[in-house]
Amino acid sequence: MSAIRLHRALAEVWGTPPGIGRLSAVNHTVLGKRFIVAAFVFFAIGGLLAMLIRVQLATSQTAFVGPELYGQIFTMHGTVMMFLFAIPMFEGLAMYLLPKMLGARDLAFPRLSAYGFWCYVFGGSILIAALLAGVAPNGGWFMYTPLSSSAYTPGINADVWLLGITFVEISALSAAVEIIVSVLKVRAPGMSLARMPILAWYLLITAFMMLFGFPPLILGSILLELERAFDLPFFDPLRGGDPLLWQHLFWLFGHPEVYIIFLPAAGAVSTMIPTFARHELVGYRAVVVAVVAVAFLSFGLWVHHMFTVGIPHLALAFFSAASGLVAVPTAVQIFAWIATLAQGGRPRLSVPMLHLGGFLFVFVIGGLTGVMVAMVPFNWQAHDTHFVVAHLHYVLVGGFVFPMMAAAHYWLPHFTGRVAEHTLAVPAFWLIFAGFNATFFPMHLTGLLGMPRRVDSYPAEAGWDGLNLFSSVGGFVMAAGFALFVVDLVVQVRFGKGFRRNPWGARTLEWATPTPPPPYAFASLPRIGDRADRLDPDRLGAELAAGRGYLGHVRNGWMETLGVDMASGRPGEVIVLPRQTYRPLISGVLTGLFVLALLFKLYWLSLPLLALAVASLFAWTHGIGTRDDLEPLPIGHGEALPVHWQTARPPSWWAMVFAIAADVTMFASLLFGALFLWLVAPGWPPSAATGAALPPALLAALALGASAVLGRRALAVLKGGASPVLSLAACAAAQAGAVLLFWILAAQVPAPTAHAHHATVFVILAYAGARAAFGALLALYGLWRWRDGYLSARRSLDLRIGRLWHDYAAVAGLVALAATVLLAWLVRAAA
Amino acid sequence: MTGRALLMLAAGFTLWAAAFVALYAMLSVGCRFGWDEVVLFGNVSLQRAQLVAIFLVAVAAGAALALALRRRAGWSFLWRAAYGAALAALAASVLSFAAVFGLSACV
Repeated sequence: MSAIRLHRALAEVWGTPPGIGRLSAVNHTVLGKRFIVAAFVFFAIGGLLAMLIRVQLATSQTAFVGPELYGQIFTMHGTVMMFLFAIPMFEGLAMYLLPKMLGARDLAFPRLSAYGFWCYVFGGSILIAALLAGVAPNGGWFMYTPLSSSAYTPGINADVWLLGITFVEISALSAAVEIIVSVLKVRAPGMSLARMPILAWYLLITAFMMLFGFPPLILGSILLELERAFDLPFFDPLRGGDPLLWQHLFWLFGHPEVYIIFLPAAGAVSTMIPTFARHELVGYRAVVVAVVAVAFLSFGLWVHHMFTVGIPHLALAFFSAASGLVAVPTAVQIFAWIATLAQGGRPRLSVPMLHLGGFLFVFVIGGLTGVMVAMVPFNWQAHDTHFVVAHLHYVLVGGFVFPMMAAAHYWLPHFTGRVAEHTLAVPAFWLIFAGFNATFFPMHLTGLLGMPRRVDSYPAEAGWDGLNLFSSVGGFVMAAGFALFVVDLVVQVRFGKGFRRNPWGARTLEWATPTPPPPYAFASLPRIGDRADRLDPDRLGAELAAGRGYLGHVRNGWMETLGVDMASGRPGEVIVLPRQTYRPLISGVLTGLFVLALLFKLYWLSLPLLALAVASLFAWTHGIGTRDDLEPLPIGHGEALPVHWQTARPPSWWAMVFAIAADVTMFASLLFGALFLWLVAPGWPPSAATGAALPPALLAALALGASAVLGRRALAVLKGGASPVLSLAACAAAQAGAVLLFWILAAQVPAPTAHAHHATVFVILAYAGARAAFGALLALYGLWRWRDGYLSARRSLDLRIGRLWHDYAAVAGLVALAATVLLAWLVRAAA
Repeated sequence: MTGRALLMLAAGFTLWAAAFVALYAMLSVGCRFGWDEVVLFGNVSLQRAQLVAIFLVAVAAGAALALALRRRAGWSFLWRAAYGAALAALAASVLSFAAVFGLSACV
């Protein structure tokens, strides 16, 4: 097949339909761009809110908005920037770049990307609509209880945050699974882990952080919403709850979040600097180790946001030491960048380098003030003052916004196929850089002078007027810079000069695609024989475009890419990706309606909507797979590989493993909460202990054990060539029985609203019951797939994925039962 | 083989995290039940003793892991990175938790 015909054939299969068909997009390039554009729109909204804040604080006499509206403005500024800009922006960049850098045609789960996008946009829209309606969250972006409890926030403001953000976090968790599996499994042949581009390492580790960091926040949001909606008193100190539980759950997410935002940006920096230094990254392995260290250490810092709440000094010392230590691996990365620049001789001072210089300057200042606030005595002085506002903006704007602006200038030619004249980019940078420092540097001083955060006014006699006015002027200078930045990008997109390939002389694989990239990224896939930042994209690009790599064909109208062994990069399977479909949009709409039903307290409507949303997710697999066993498929160069659903551990199997890991984290957070309340909360012990009653608990344990055995039995029967119907039906029945028993056990909990002990036992039982319910659905799903002819001894993937869940549901259920018994014993012992 | 190395890359800091959780949890448990008032010998309380024991176990486990990774044949990229991460985690354990020897436990 000629190169031109190959491109046409691939474009027909991979292209997104025009018009209304655009809503069926599942392609990583399309969705990556949509994520980035949507994130930038939210950034503009967040920026507008920031300007309103600066108008209000410009002088002590400003009467611009009242305290209620000001509360909504600063809460939404933080919420939008953290949840609707930073995370989605990096998700979009990862989505767009990863497959191209890894030598693949798409991510592992294109429809999950699309579903994540719709959840993000719908969730974000709920928050913005609430802002326009004047009912936006107003208790700070961290929603501390009791301020956010129904006693002090009786309207729907806090519900908007709890439900809207949880909705958006579906997008973050799906992105985490997507990125982990894609980096580990969907790479070019020969690209071992040791040869991966450094950005892939950063994104892999960041995605793991998201997988373990977001579940505590989601759990905390669910518990707080349960308290607000049904009066379950997890955070009410009068009934055995504790507001500090919210702080722990929030910051267990909240501090890693800072590094979840920073690390992808640092990955982009580690990719760009070698290009401009004309030298490969110095200390590649040390950087990987440093990123691992940052990822772990960042989980050991969360209490440094709580130094003033009354925690023993020894515990403060643990968290203070870890907070200081995290600067070390961060510094390793900075020294690696400086060494790379030094090794390469005179670096090219292009516009992205200007922003990288701004990043280094601003971020290092933020890091140094970070070490200051990590020290307990200083923290006690600076806590909740504008010093912290200055610190966090130096870290987040320095550590994310400046690198992202560099990335925009660096990769925009890849998006558009045009390079910029950069006549506006330089003044835009200087306006932003000067405006940023003018805005936030004085806040160190106002903070040290005692100006608290989150106040809408301050007394004239405090003497803070001059510095605040300077900050406000700086804010408007920065806004002008961002406006110029946008104009520059628009000018580049519209009037930039075309180029042939690889305008920066980069040595990473994304520049081997045509620019702008076609939906299939590569006409054929490369074999990688060297580290992925030492390649020659110009030579590779021409070869791959001519179809001389792997999969240089179109077969059965399938969208194909290759799956590899995780560590070695040895090709292992042909991954057939799902075609364009409206199903993710439908699932997103149904999920959104479910959230809205909860928000407006239409609980009778929420359950059927949840059922429909779950059913719509199961319906995604309709038509996926084949009704016949396939022999290995030729992939080119005389090699042949099995199709992914006939291999032992394809991407979807791993996705279930990582989804379970996230669920385990959430369950562990719930058990932590229960023990925390028993140990620390006031109002314990309650008047009566409650746990799982023995007869139904034993029956539930039996049902769970049986379901796990039957799930395994169904798989064994299928592999033996027989029908798994009986085993699957029995497995579904056992899971349904477990659900019923957990229902009975939960119903036996006396008055869950009376005390946090009862409430936590109730939720633990409900949690286990929900896992069993999903297990029953998976068993029924297996029956459906068998009936449709998609299962055989060689096509057993659906049952193997189900088996993972059945095993997990059984273990989680048994742990839940044991936990309730243990909690009852602890309460009785303390009584 | 290298699949294990990928897991080992996180092993050192997983030990660090486990030690962190154990120390923070047992510190809270000890304070709740007044173990800092229970004197074992000299001026060493039950609280101090159990925290120091956890610290020593954590450091010993971290050191054993680092030694095992150092002895590992075949210095591939991942094994060397895992060794480096284990050393970093060991240093982090000593620096993060050394305060168990001195600071007051429940004040």
